[in-house]
Amino acid sequence: MIPLMMVVGFRTYKRHGFRLWIPLFLVWLLLLPLVLVLLPVAFIALVVVRINPFRALAAGWQILTGLRGTHIEVEDGNALVLIRIF
Amino acid sequence: MNEDRRQILEMLSAGKITTDEAERLIAALEKGPAATASASDSGSKARPKYLRVMVEDQSERMGKGKTQVNVRVPMQLLRAGVRLASLIPSPALNHANEALHEQGIQLDLSQLKPENLEELVDQLADLTVDVDEEKTKVRVFCE
Repeated sequence: MIPLMMVVGFRTYKRHGFRLWIPLFLVWLLLLPLVLVLLPVAFIALVVVRINPFRALAAGWQILTGLRGTHIEVEDGNALVLIRIF
Repeated sequence: MNEDRRQILEMLSAGKITTDEAERLIAALEKGPAATASASDSGSKARPKYLRVMVEDQSERMGKGKTQVNVRVPMQLLRAGVRLASLIPSPALNHANEALHEQGIQLDLSQLKPENLEELVDQLADLTVDVDEEKTKVRVFCE
């Protein structure tokens, strides 16, 4: 299943920061028309560079679905960077 | 001698059960813990879902305080990455290999195949890297 939500957190040494919840399901909906337009172009480009477009599509889809569960958190003193995908 | 075994022998000496029945009961007792152990072993051999890297550095650097890194990468993402790498045309792979060799990394990307990764992921279940120094701790494991 593709990721539906993403949290991006950031905090500076001066303790200013934010935590952004990004509803990915809305992003996917917004990107869908663009993907549909770009898909034939990507297909032709892949054929030209002799890469199997179906295998590339499958690999791309696997990367998208594999992102679910990713958690990256780096804290250095008071500074923090956080990325969570679920 | 445990309590169950003692009871079986007492029943045998009292003539409540025959020697054959006692033998079967003792055999069943011995099989019990072994079956439980093998069941728990197969449970712990479940395929790992995530690769986890945790770093904790308590050393003070310019009064910044401690450093912590907590990364969880889904195994599915690793598999997909290798699948994508297998699509890269061989001339590009050769360039990448040369660049890696220049950096002293003896890795042949053309040998990286999804089926090899499956084997690697299976073996990763047993992997635990644990570095524990005075102020620094590093842990790499699968969960």
